Amino acid sequence: MTLVSFTQPDGRNLSKAGITLLMAPFFMLIGFAFLYPLLSLLSISVTEPQFGFQNYERILDTPVYGKVLLRTLWIALLVSILSLFLAFPVAMAMVSSGGAMAVFITACILLPFWSSVLVRTAAWAVLLQRNGIINEGLQAIGIIDGPVRLLYTQGAVVVAMTHVLMPFMVLPIYGALRNIPQDYGRAAAICGAGPLRSFFEVTLPLAMPGVLGGFILVFLTALGYFITPALLGSPQEMMIATLISQQLREFLDWPFAAALVGVLTLFVTAITLVFSRVFRFDRMLGGQL
Amino acid sequence: MTQDDTAAGAGISVTGLEKRFGMLTAVDDLSIEIESGEFLALLGPSGSGKSTVLMMLAGFEVPTAGSITIDGRDCTRLPPQKRNIGMVFQHYSLFPHLSVIDNVAFPLKMRGEAKAARRRRASEALEVVRLDGYGDRMPSQLSGGQRQRVALARAIVYQPRLLLMDEPLSALDKNLREEMQLEIKRLHSELGVTVVFVTHDQGEALTMADRVAILRGGRVQQISPARELYERPANLFSAGFIGEMNMIPAQWDGSGLLLNQGDRLDPPAAALVGRVPTGRATLAIRPERLRVTAADTPGALAADVEEVVYAGAGTLLIARLADGTEIRARVPSANLPRLREGERIGLAFDPDALLVYGEEAAA
Repeated sequence: MTLVSFTQPDGRNLSKAGITLLMAPFFMLIGFAFLYPLLSLLSISVTEPQFGFQNYERILDTPVYGKVLLRTLWIALLVSILSLFLAFPVAMAMVSSGGAMAVFITACILLPFWSSVLVRTAAWAVLLQRNGIINEGLQAIGIIDGPVRLLYTQGAVVVAMTHVLMPFMVLPIYGALRNIPQDYGRAAAICGAGPLRSFFEVTLPLAMPGVLGGFILVFLTALGYFITPALLGSPQEMMIATLISQQLREFLDWPFAAALVGVLTLFVTAITLVFSRVFRFDRMLGGQL
Repeated sequence: MTQDDTAAGAGISVTGLEKRFGMLTAVDDLSIEIESGEFLALLGPSGSGKSTVLMMLAGFEVPTAGSITIDGRDCTRLPPQKRNIGMVFQHYSLFPHLSVIDNVAFPLKMRGEAKAARRRRASEALEVVRLDGYGDRMPSQLSGGQRQRVALARAIVYQPRLLLMDEPLSALDKNLREEMQLEIKRLHSELGVTVVFVTHDQGEALTMADRVAILRGGRVQQISPARELYERPANLFSAGFIGEMNMIPAQWDGSGLLLNQGDRLDPPAAALVGRVPTGRATLAIRPERLRVTAADTPGALAADVEEVVYAGAGTLLIARLADGTEIRARVPSANLPRLREGERIGLAFDPDALLVYGEEAAA
């Protein structure tokens, strides 16, 4: 099945050259605004201060950078898993509710996109601060005696990033769930499956393309996430994007920052390749239901 | 699969069944007794409530009133997974992520059967629908007819006593449909299972079912064996819905029938369907029961030919009575004289071909 067909008004398909011509603006934009800067940055990492891999050796030789990298992977994984567990019920509710309710839920999911990530992150800073509403609330009901440190912790980063990234999990899962015909649930029921078995035997396997798509989207975005960890995280527990920014702006060490970018790019590419090999992107996006 | 006399078909009793969706009454005070091992077709136009009845039999919809008893057990509010019913859906609804054998074994898995046993029974069910050897394929690799057979195998693998079918053949092309009709009939007589089959195709209903229930507006119009349904429809709706029927307005004076163009007919008492009060009535006659004769033949209806449609073995004549009523005749093409448009002919018939409906039967 082709996703898009290029058909002229008279019904003939476009030639290869025609298709290439139509795609040219897109490839030019990607090339100039994305590939060129990335490649020139990566070239700095192996040419300055002198030609060689000394910047990468520094990353390998200094344990703290390895720890930053591991922490970044861990937080991204945690955010993805949390998003998955929060997003699945929401997506199910969107599919099973009809009319006004479905519109309302969709609006709740999409509304945050209208405000910037910065605003949403700042909102969490207000909520989590020493005399913020969460600390005061917990004291009021007697769970804690005095204010506890919520802001500038890994927990704050995970919570806020989950909040920001969850819509990217909801939408692919919603798409996958919506494509499952109602009759499959009925067929499962008449075959003797109760609601739980029906979910695990039929709904979940058929929603997997959406789950994996959402997971990759959230995980990869979280790997390179900058604003939220920078504003809410602890400086002692940096994520890689914050580290890169620090190297650039505070130490003006472009070659080393570029090497860090190289490592991050390597990870993202590797994970994408593994996922697309193991789970077959084409099936995920083509959706053979 | 072995035949088991004790596990043949379920007896079903539907009493006063009603389903309302807000203001709309989809099924209205419907009662049907279905015998063990019977093949019942629910036939009706779209919106007649036939699918809703099936949904309630399956347990996907809860009736707003009335009761459904299967094998003497009240199932009105029982969820579908506890009814032990087989069902074939309109679009097959095979699970796309499972192989053919896993699809067929699915109901057995839900019943906690061990893997080896369910694979064996699933292969047996695939043999019954003549798909042995297809177990390892995925549903997407099968043709429409093959998918339908897999759906059938999945519905019968746990030997349910009741099999529901929701327009299962409507997605197939004509040749395949006829083949599957015979296949399902064969299965029905082999397994002895009770079948309730929803269709809007009257030919399908007449071919397959022991009895046909005609539904309209959520009510049963008639439940009869196929032959009776065709030869003696209980009312004008059934008469018009099943096959072609000429309906000629007339007056019933208590002993004879007066047509608008002046003919007076004396139909036998058996021709009167139900009670026919004096006054307005309808004369019904099947097109294939008419013969072409000379216009002045006694007892024949005089009509003007409007169209002659030759179709090989048979020819369709469309003619008009003097009062403007269209009348159709399907006659064998052999020996048919050459007819011209506007020519006056006589349409003769046997007395037992006549059916007379009183005015109230129009409802």
